[in-house]
Amino acid sequence: MSFWEVNLTIMQGLVTTAELFFLTLLFALPLGLIICLGSMSKITPIRLIVKTIVWIVRGSPLMLQILIVYYGPGLLFNLPLLPRFTAAVVTFVINYACYFSEIYRGGIQSIPKGQYEAGQVLGMTRSQVFFKVVLLQLVKRVIPPMGNELITLVKDTALVRVIAVYEVIWMGESFIKKGMIWPLFYTAVFYLAFNGILTLLLNRVEKKLDYFH
Amino acid sequence: MSVLEVQDIHKSFGKSEILSGISFSLDEGKVLSIIGPSGSGKTTLLRCITQLERAEAGKITVDGDTVFDAAETATLSKAEKRRRQLYFGLVFQSFNLFPQYNVLENVTLAMKLQAKEQPDFKEKKDEIFAAIDENARSLIDSVGLSDKLANYPCELSGGQQQRVAIARALAMKPRILCFDEPTSALDPELTNEVLAVIKGLVKLNMTMIIVTHEMRFAKEVSDRIIFMEGGNICAEGSSDEIFVKSENPRLKEFLGSFQS
Repeated sequence: MSFWEVNLTIMQGLVTTAELFFLTLLFALPLGLIICLGSMSKITPIRLIVKTIVWIVRGSPLMLQILIVYYGPGLLFNLPLLPRFTAAVVTFVINYACYFSEIYRGGIQSIPKGQYEAGQVLGMTRSQVFFKVVLLQLVKRVIPPMGNELITLVKDTALVRVIAVYEVIWMGESFIKKGMIWPLFYTAVFYLAFNGILTLLLNRVEKKLDYFH
Repeated sequence: MSVLEVQDIHKSFGKSEILSGISFSLDEGKVLSIIGPSGSGKTTLLRCITQLERAEAGKITVDGDTVFDAAETATLSKAEKRRRQLYFGLVFQSFNLFPQYNVLENVTLAMKLQAKEQPDFKEKKDEIFAAIDENARSLIDSVGLSDKLANYPCELSGGQQQRVAIARALAMKPRILCFDEPTSALDPELTNEVLAVIKGLVKLNMTMIIVTHEMRFAKEVSDRIIFMEGGNICAEGSSDEIFVKSENPRLKEFLGSFQS
C-alpha cells in the first residue's frame, strides 16, 4: 500500500466532502436569506415560527440532526430511507441556512438607516435601494463572519460518517483494518489544504471590497 | 406666491406628541430657518415634510399639489409616491453618501436609475447618461469638488462629503431643498465651507428650509425664521423680528444661550 494509493483513496473522500460543501453553499445561502427575512418579519406568527426553528436547529447537535433526517422518516412514518448523501445534504442545508440567516440579519441591521433614507429621498424604489445601495455594503459586512462559518462547514462535513457517507475521514479510517493508523491522522492535511484555499479566496474578495468603508 | 403650505401637522411617537399642530407657508425663492432647542421637533417636522415620517394629521401642498394628506386613505402607487417625494431634496446631518460609489456616481446614481424608465432609454442610453454626467460634473464643480470626481466618500473630509451630498440633492432638481442640521457633525472650519455652499444657493434663489443651530448663519441668510419649542411654533418672523425685536422670553433665553 503505497503513499500514492493512500492519497488517491482519501481524494475520493475529498470529492464527496467537496460536493457536500458546495451543494450546502448553493442551497443554504439563498435559504438563509429567506429565513432571515422570516425572522425579521413584521407578522408575529411568522417571526415566532421561524425563530423557533432557528433555535431548534442551532440548539441541537448537527450529528443528531443527520441521524434524524436519515432514520427519522423510516422510524416514524415507515417511509423509505433517503439516499445517504441526499440526507446529508438536506441536513447541512437546513442547519447552515439557520446560521447564515443570523449572519445576514446582523449585516442588514448594521446598515445605517440613513442609507435607506438617502435612497428614498432621491426617489429610488425600495428594490433599487436594496440592490443598488445596500447589497454591496451587506456583502462586505457579512464576509468575515461568513468565512468563519464556511471553514466550520468544511470540518463539519466529517460528521456525515455517522450515516456512512464516505467522506475524507471515513476513507482515512478505512486503512486501519489494513493495519495502517497514520492515514486517519494524515486526513488533516486535506482539511488544511481545503480551508487554506478557501481562506485565500475569501481574502481576495475582501481585498476587492476594500476600496470603501 | 407660496410654494409650500404646511397645515396643522401632528406627529407622535408612542404616547409622546412631538409635533402638536404645525402650520406655515414658504414663498418661492425664500429661505426658512427652523431653530429651537434639541427635542423641540425641528427634525421631525423636516422629516414629515420630506416624507420620511408620516404625520398623523395635517396636510402639505407644493405649488397647490397635495404631497401629503393624513385624510388620504388610498395607498399610493410607487410612481405617485416618488413624484411627491421628488419635490423635496434633503441634506442629512450625517451626509449619508453611498460609500461604495465615487463622488460622480453618488451624484448620478438616482438620475441614472430614473432615466432607465424613459421610453426611449434603450436607443438614447449613451446620450442620456452623458447629459446626466455633464450636469453632475457642473454641480460638483459648483460645490468646489471637481478634483474629487473619482474619490470615494471615505477619502473625503466631512465638509467635502456634505458638499457632495448637496450636489447629489440638487441633481434631482428639487423644488424645495431641505437641510437637517447640515453642519452639526462638522468642526468650525468645515462648517464654514458648507455654509458657503448654502449661501451660494441663496444667491441662486433656491427655495430652502434649514434646520440649524448656527444662529449667526440663520440670521444672515433667512427670509423667515421659525422658533420651535415643545412641538409648537413658539415664535415666527423675519430675521430681524426674531433676532432683534422679539420680546418672547423663551426665544430670548434660547438665543441668549448662544451668546457665550
